[in-house]
Amino acid sequence: MSDTPELSYEQAREELIAVVQQLEAGGTTLEESLALWERGETLARTCQTWLDGARERLDAAVAADDE
Amino acid sequence: MSSLRDATAESPAPVRAVANAISQYIDRLGTVWVEGQIAQFSRRPGLNTVFITLRDTVADLSISVTCARTLFDGLNPPLVEGASVVIHAKPSFYAGRGSLALHAREIRMVGLGELLARIERRRQLLAAEGLFAPELKRRLPFLPRQIGLITAPGSDAERDVIENARRRWPAVRVRVAAARMQGANCAREVMEALDVLERDAETDVIVIARGGGSIEDLLPFSDEAVIRAVAKVRTPVVSAIGHEADQPLLDLVADVRASTPTDAARRIVPDFAEEQARVSQARERVRAALRRTVEREQAALTALRSRPAMADPRTLIDARLDEVASLRERARRSLRHRLDRAHDEIHHQAARAAALSPLATLRRGYAVLQSEGGHVVTSLGELAAGAAISVRVADGRLSATVDSLHPATPVAEPDESDA
Repeated sequence: MSDTPELSYEQAREELIAVVQQLEAGGTTLEESLALWERGETLARTCQTWLDGARERLDAAVAADDE
Repeated sequence: MSSLRDATAESPAPVRAVANAISQYIDRLGTVWVEGQIAQFSRRPGLNTVFITLRDTVADLSISVTCARTLFDGLNPPLVEGASVVIHAKPSFYAGRGSLALHAREIRMVGLGELLARIERRRQLLAAEGLFAPELKRRLPFLPRQIGLITAPGSDAERDVIENARRRWPAVRVRVAAARMQGANCAREVMEALDVLERDAETDVIVIARGGGSIEDLLPFSDEAVIRAVAKVRTPVVSAIGHEADQPLLDLVADVRASTPTDAARRIVPDFAEEQARVSQARERVRAALRRTVEREQAALTALRSRPAMADPRTLIDARLDEVASLRERARRSLRHRLDRAHDEIHHQAARAAALSPLATLRRGYAVLQSEGGHVVTSLGELAAGAAISVRVADGRLSATVDSLHPATPVAEPDESDA
C-alpha cells in the first residue's frame, strides 16, 4: 500500500496543507514541485482513507442498532 | 322518649330517638376543665368552627374539641400543634354526624408546645452526637437489586411505593417487612423490620413509608431508639413519612428524605423509559457530532484537493511551458530585430557606396585613364608616346594608344582672397 497509514489523520492533513501552500507559493524546481505534488496525492489518499473508515464505522454502528 | 328502654327487636327505636337521648344525656354533663396536648387542629377558611384533636399527655388516646373561630384566633400566643393546654369545655353530641366533641369555651395555654419541645431537645442532642451529619449520608444505588420496604401491610403507602417503583422500573424487586406504623408497638416493630432487612444481603435500600398523619401518629418516627437504629444500619435508608409542617427526626437521620411514598419510589429506582430515552439521545448526539466532524473534514479535504496545485498538476508544467514559450518568443523577436537592423545598415552602406562611386562622374563625360599596370594616370610624366592605356567610361572600357604628349599651359589657380 502506497498510503502511509502510520500517519494519523491530523498529521496527514497538516502536512497536506503545508504541501499545497508550498506548491502554490512556487519557488521550487520542477522536479521538487513534482515530488511535492506526489506527496500531496499520497497524503490526500491517507486522509480520505481515514474519513471513509470513520464513516463506515459510524454507518455500521447505526445499522447494527437498527437491526 | 323515656320509653327507649322499652324498645325491643319487634318495636325498635329510630336512630333520631337514640341520638336525641344521647344528646340530652351528654348535655346534662355540664362543663369540665380538661388538660391535654393539641395534637392537631384544622382551621379551614370560611368555617366558623375550628376542629382540634386533644391528646392525652400519657395514654394513647385523644378526643375531638370544637372551638369558635373567634376564640381560636383571639389566643395569644397563637395555638400551635403540640401545645399543652387546659380547656374549659362542654361535652356535646353532634347528632348530625353522631360524633362527640368537647366544645371549648375557654382555652389556656400551658407551656409552649411541650410535645414539640421534647422532640426539639432530642433533635439537638442527637445532632450534637453527629447522627444527622451530612457526611454520614450514603448515596442510593442507581439500580437496587432489591428494595426493602417497611410499612403497614395493605396500606396506601405500600401500594404507592410498589406501584410507582414498578411503573418506573418494571423489573423492580420489593421485599416488604411489615410493621405497624402507628401506636404503641410501632417503634419496636419498625426496628425489628429494619433488623430483618439489614441482614438481607440482597436488599440495597430500605424505605420506611407511611402516609400522612397527625403529630401524635408520627411520634414513633421521632423515637430515640428508632433514630439510633436507623443511624446504625449500613444499608441506605429512605424516609417516606407523609407530613406537612413538623418533620419527624427520621427525616434527619435517613440518608434520603422523600416527601411522600410516591416520591420515595421516584428516588429509589430510575425511570426505565427516561433512562432509555437519555441513552438514545446521548447516542444520537455522539453520532451526530462524529458525523459533523467527518463531513467538515471531508469538505476541507475536498477543498484542498480541488486547489489547482493539487487538482491539475499539469498547471505545474503548463506554467513552465508558458515560460519556455515566452522566452523562445523573446529570443526570436530579439534576433529578428537584430537582423532587421543589420539589413538597414547594409542598405545604408550600399547607398553611401553608390553615392561615393565615380560612376556618376563618368556619366557626366569624364573618363579615367589607367596605365597598363592599372595605375590611374594623373600626369603626362607617367606616360610616353606609344604607350598602351585603358580608358574607363561610364558604360565600359576601351583600349587606346598614346600618339603624342602635349603639356598644358599652366593656369593660375584662382586666388581665394580675390573672390
